[in-house]
Amino acid sequence: MAAKLPQSLADVPTELVETDLLIIGGGNAGCFVAIEAKEKQPDLWVTIMEKAHIKRSGATAAGMDAINTYISKSESPESLVRWSRSQVGGLIREDLALSNARVLNQAVESLDAWGLPILRDENGEYKRRGRWDISIHGEQLKPIMAERAQAAGAQVFNRVVATNLLIQDGRCVGAMGFGVRDSKFYVFRAKATVVSTGGACGLYRSPTNDATSSHHQTWMNPFNVGSGYAIGIRAGAEMTSLEQRWVAARTKDFCGPVDTVSVAYGCPIINCKGEEIMSARYAHLGGDKAPRYLRANAPMEEWLAGRAPTYIDTTKLSDENAKAMKTDLLNERPSFVLFLAARGQNITEEPVEIYGSDPYIVGGHTGSGFWVDLDRMSLVPGLFAAGEAAGGTPNKFVGGCAAEGMLAARGAIKYLEAANLPALDKVQVEAEKARVFAPALRGAEFDGVTPLEMEERMQRLMDEYAGGIAQFYRMNEERLDYALKHIGILKDQVQYMYARDLHELMQAHEVIDRLDVAEVLIHHLKFRKETRWTGWQTRMDYPEVDPKLDCFVESRRDRETGEVRVFTRPYEQIVPGDRMKP
Amino acid sequence: MPPKEPLRIGVYLRDRGGTLSRWCDLDVAARTFAKSKQIAQWEVREDWLNPEGQAAIQDAIQSGRVNRLLFVGRFTASEDEDIRGLAASAGLNPHLVDFCVPEEQGIRGGDDARDLNTKRVIALFAMALARARLLQPLEPVELPAVDAALVVGGGMAGLNAAMVLAQTGKQVYLVEKSATLGGRVAQLHRYYPRMCDPRCGLEFLVRRLRDSARAEVLTLATLEELRGSPGDYHAVVVQRPRFVSEARCTACGECLRICPATVPSSNGEGERKAIHPTGSLSVGQAFIVEREHCPPGCRLCEPACPYAAINLDQTPAHHSLKVGALIVATGWDPYPLDQVEEYGYGRLPGVVSNLEMEKLLALRRFARGNGHGRTGGGPLSVGFIQCAGSRDQRHLSYCSGVCCSVTLKQILALKEQAPDARCVVFYMDIRASGTDELLYQRVQNLTDVIFVKSNPATIRPEDGTGRLRVRVEDTLSGKEVALDFDLLVLAGGLIPSAGTLEVSDRLGLPREELGFLESHLQCQPWESQRTGIYTCGTCRGPMNVSQSVESANSAVIQSLRLLGSTVQVQPPYPVLDRTKCDKCKRCTEECPFAAYAFDEQGFPVPDLAKCRQCGICQGSCPMVVLSLGNHTARQLSAQVEALSERAPVKGQPLMVALLCENDAAHAAVGAARLGLDPPPNAFFLTVPCAGAINNATIADALSCGIDGVLVGGCRDGQCHYVRGNELVRKRSSDLAEKLRKMRMDEARIRFEAIEVNDARRYRDLLHEYVAELTRLGPNPFRV
Amino acid sequence: MPPRVDKKLCDSCKAQQEPLCEQICPGDLMTLGQDGKAYCRSARDCWDCMSCTKACPVGAIETRVPYQIGYHVAKLIPLMGTDTITWTCIDLQGNVERFRYRNRGEAEAF
Repeated sequence: MAAKLPQSLADVPTELVETDLLIIGGGNAGCFVAIEAKEKQPDLWVTIMEKAHIKRSGATAAGMDAINTYISKSESPESLVRWSRSQVGGLIREDLALSNARVLNQAVESLDAWGLPILRDENGEYKRRGRWDISIHGEQLKPIMAERAQAAGAQVFNRVVATNLLIQDGRCVGAMGFGVRDSKFYVFRAKATVVSTGGACGLYRSPTNDATSSHHQTWMNPFNVGSGYAIGIRAGAEMTSLEQRWVAARTKDFCGPVDTVSVAYGCPIINCKGEEIMSARYAHLGGDKAPRYLRANAPMEEWLAGRAPTYIDTTKLSDENAKAMKTDLLNERPSFVLFLAARGQNITEEPVEIYGSDPYIVGGHTGSGFWVDLDRMSLVPGLFAAGEAAGGTPNKFVGGCAAEGMLAARGAIKYLEAANLPALDKVQVEAEKARVFAPALRGAEFDGVTPLEMEERMQRLMDEYAGGIAQFYRMNEERLDYALKHIGILKDQVQYMYARDLHELMQAHEVIDRLDVAEVLIHHLKFRKETRWTGWQTRMDYPEVDPKLDCFVESRRDRETGEVRVFTRPYEQIVPGDRMKP
Repeated sequence: MPPKEPLRIGVYLRDRGGTLSRWCDLDVAARTFAKSKQIAQWEVREDWLNPEGQAAIQDAIQSGRVNRLLFVGRFTASEDEDIRGLAASAGLNPHLVDFCVPEEQGIRGGDDARDLNTKRVIALFAMALARARLLQPLEPVELPAVDAALVVGGGMAGLNAAMVLAQTGKQVYLVEKSATLGGRVAQLHRYYPRMCDPRCGLEFLVRRLRDSARAEVLTLATLEELRGSPGDYHAVVVQRPRFVSEARCTACGECLRICPATVPSSNGEGERKAIHPTGSLSVGQAFIVEREHCPPGCRLCEPACPYAAINLDQTPAHHSLKVGALIVATGWDPYPLDQVEEYGYGRLPGVVSNLEMEKLLALRRFARGNGHGRTGGGPLSVGFIQCAGSRDQRHLSYCSGVCCSVTLKQILALKEQAPDARCVVFYMDIRASGTDELLYQRVQNLTDVIFVKSNPATIRPEDGTGRLRVRVEDTLSGKEVALDFDLLVLAGGLIPSAGTLEVSDRLGLPREELGFLESHLQCQPWESQRTGIYTCGTCRGPMNVSQSVESANSAVIQSLRLLGSTVQVQPPYPVLDRTKCDKCKRCTEECPFAAYAFDEQGFPVPDLAKCRQCGICQGSCPMVVLSLGNHTARQLSAQVEALSERAPVKGQPLMVALLCENDAAHAAVGAARLGLDPPPNAFFLTVPCAGAINNATIADALSCGIDGVLVGGCRDGQCHYVRGNELVRKRSSDLAEKLRKMRMDEARIRFEAIEVNDARRYRDLLHEYVAELTRLGPNPFRV
Repeated sequence: MPPRVDKKLCDSCKAQQEPLCEQICPGDLMTLGQDGKAYCRSARDCWDCMSCTKACPVGAIETRVPYQIGYHVAKLIPLMGTDTITWTCIDLQGNVERFRYRNRGEAEAF
């Protein structure tokens, strides 16, 4: 049970942990960092800092039904890069994507060796569910990875929230945070740090948000708030492509996965008139194989045109396939099956309704996140990123995030061989400790705002002004400026936020982190004055593609002034071919 | 990563006299498994234990042809051992050898049963192979041990235990909390039936211990702390100060003359000084100062001692002892008879306890001229009230078994001192069993001894005479009688001593409902429920002196296995998978023997020396991370799943019985041997204890289509591992609750207490259960 | 209204350090109340990952979807085997559907 809030800062003990490699976020990528690091160098001290419990933390908490990138015999790393490139308007870091693709299968095969049930076909090969997807029964995916990380000898700190990186001499020498059960202030000193905190959910309001029991009906794990991005931003790290938001076709209301599943089972998207809208309206853009953002946006267009509701047509499924689809869903989001049951819905009689999702920032799906080099190191020396936190490589999904974890581990090991830690900067530590516990020490008479109030306000702001689902993802310069202004006010209002227990203190920091990410996100959205991915970013004032923006949009926030500078980096093609075609 | 070594199972069938092949078609069975890549060899022989058979086994192992062995047929326990030994000598870990006995499953019988038998034997083989695939090469573990034992309590039982231990060549420490040895027996006047003085035997024991180089006796000492494991305990004993140096004191008695403090007599012995000798039943001759009785600040004795032997500043001594086992012999206390208000003990002079009567007899108070004569002359009149405070729901519900013989003995002794004394025994039943019956007859034949079958109603002092009047209804004659006595002896019962309760709390030794130290009378007779801690004497329950001595000897024999240089722990023992453990601590709580402790990270660690290998921890674990070697939950589940695919008869319920190997399994085997055939779709699997069954296995069974799971354990109070049966019942009732929510019939899990001889009942139970399952219809999970 | 705890069945994991549901919840939402029984501190913050439901050793926890998105009442009950999981789904009309699959294969030793 959680310890009581401290009475004063002096009551808060500081726990100092020395390690070689610090991993912030013990999820899919994080566990693979640990496992690979320990395998490559068994005597390395590896520490995982996890705000929940690594056994079920992160996006794979409930499990997974497929690994959506695996290179089968008829494909190659290059063909994967070509396909991935075509899905995001031709903008990916080809160097990163290639390096990831080359380790991808090894990561997936490790999971197989560790006991993850991967379905096989009659020939004993991994059963393909699509061009890149293979079917798994992944209800135990996360426990398997977590156990492996522990067996490898990683030191795990569960229930410790990371609040900021430790930056000295312009490089990252660890991180700081607090224990959400033990109320301690933690300082981790590490020669290399990997940020693998997953993506950012909850920047925008979820469409089914209500006051009683529905706030976290999101596709992405709502406890992944983008803290990794936030601490990177605050440390002055460069972020890439945040404007490449991830919006996807999702089951309506429940907001569960449906996109890959529907493609795998051959269920086309239909509107209320029964028209197959992808082939009807988007044939020239790929039809059913059109990029994800189009598939996400398509239902929205039907709604706006008065041809709603929209569905995936499950009525043509055989009973066997319907059961298989539900089994898949039980592996990834079991409560979706409960949702269907709670509507008394038989999917072979009544098709599954779909809609777009709220927007997320997830570097495992799009290219948003830390700008990193081939070693997965960001522009802050000693600071690495892997998984959804790392940008440049869209369409990683489970397998790619795992592979990136391995690459980051290798990069970090290379780096820390020569790394020496300076003496601890006590001033920075004390300042962070005060910042972390400030909301908890306001006093009983304090007149202020709860984290929930700030969170809801921010979410509605983003929803209405920064292209959320209530606005069908549409945005324009003036609204973005409005959003930016009010995010600024909210950031200033953090001084009025208070927490009544440790859980709420964690929520307070989740709000603070989201605000920092939202601010930089809006800068990115403003900068890219075009509409390259309808839905992910629909600029009403710039509805066409601008060839001058065939490049990466980058940002850096100044550590001292807080000023966000936005600039570009050129695109580099390695794999030949038309970047828009798979 | 290197590939795992592929399984190569040798299936060796023993077809003695051609019976197995007559009962079932072994060729069909062989063909059914022919495609399995993991079966490297399938061979039928008349006998595997003749020289050719043995050579074949050895050759198959040594050539690498097989790396697992599955023997099919009936083998005696020693043949079982021989085969494992043979495998081991050929280089195969003996735990990679398994046995499958078709006969036990009722697969035997005439030609008309052959088809069915064949189908059944195929199902059985599938199960046996599923289990064999998961066999692990287990190794024994050697743990450190010490060749020494600690005996707690220096009474009759403790002294005997210590002496026997010393005689067997073990180092023994005897810890006694008072200054003298001999306990309650030293307070007795005579033993029955020989009527000898107990001091004779006690002094003999004490002298032997004193003279033994291997025995160390610590009086004024208590066990403060016990750490470590059976075989390797670390005991901390604290010795109170004597204040007199054992080396210097010559017992000259100078201090006695100067000591101003007298300690009143507590048991009729007369006064003594605060400093006094401890008598012959002690270690050495040194005096002792009872400081709590000294006048505050008085130190007069110190300078008075000519040998400077007195040191009133002496502090307690701490002894750190390494021992392999503990023997607890902390004895009994008399039931506080003042609780029996109607008898006036503690209120009326002239009412004494039987223990106090021993003292009076020892002081020869009844011999002429010694003071306990009758006022006014005439023969002494003594009444004995049996079952005083015993067999009485208000006091002690039980009978202490010795009080009748004690009274008879006391009458003999009394008559020896005062031949014309008149004795009346008020009794409900005279329980002088065995040869004590002769004692009873002897006493009945004495003059002036009468037995009145009644419980006295009232005891009142008679004014003026100083005697006690007892009113009683003689149930045999029906008349009310009033009798006057000079002395009334209450034959009170035995309760666990205060020292027993203290040791029990300190060491966490469970007590049974009457407060005595718990053990398991049949299965682990002299060991408490904490491995390595043995109990003897009256701390276990009321008994007489010879029973006490016998129990001490027995406890010592049992403890010997832990006294040596190492303790060998044979498999199976539990192994924990830390990566999956979430420290819920259920294993620690459910282990009846407190064999789990926590390491610095909070993970439970089984102490293999304390473990009794029941597997209850495995059954309790919600994450199934504990595996009892080669009796794992995963193996059971694999067997059950293998069965689910091979129901011998279609359209009939498929059921599996999970039976504890101590009791329930014997009933099943017994049923088979008696020719009581089980239903065709019923099979049983054995577990070390019903408590070792994990809910996950039952979940697997039901979810793969088994129609019913019968769990067979012991009756309450009979489980070899104290409460395995209760635990599995509670856990499976939680599971049944979940089944109900899942719209599955709770009747698909059934718990039954099955005893060793319940062969017929077992067979009937199976048929009845199958009938119930038939009514319920097939398991909804059946595809 | 995500996780509901049956107080009759909940034994607060025998009041150990941290009940299993509290230990596992990715959102830090499950905890013990004043009555010593487990409860979800904020139903609307639950993501229905069902980790608590699977972890409870006595089967005291039930997950439901919020009324905003699903009617009253349907059930989805996980049953953990040694290396399989079985789901029983009961919909609004009482129709029962069952699923069973292996969730752990043989793992090579570390």
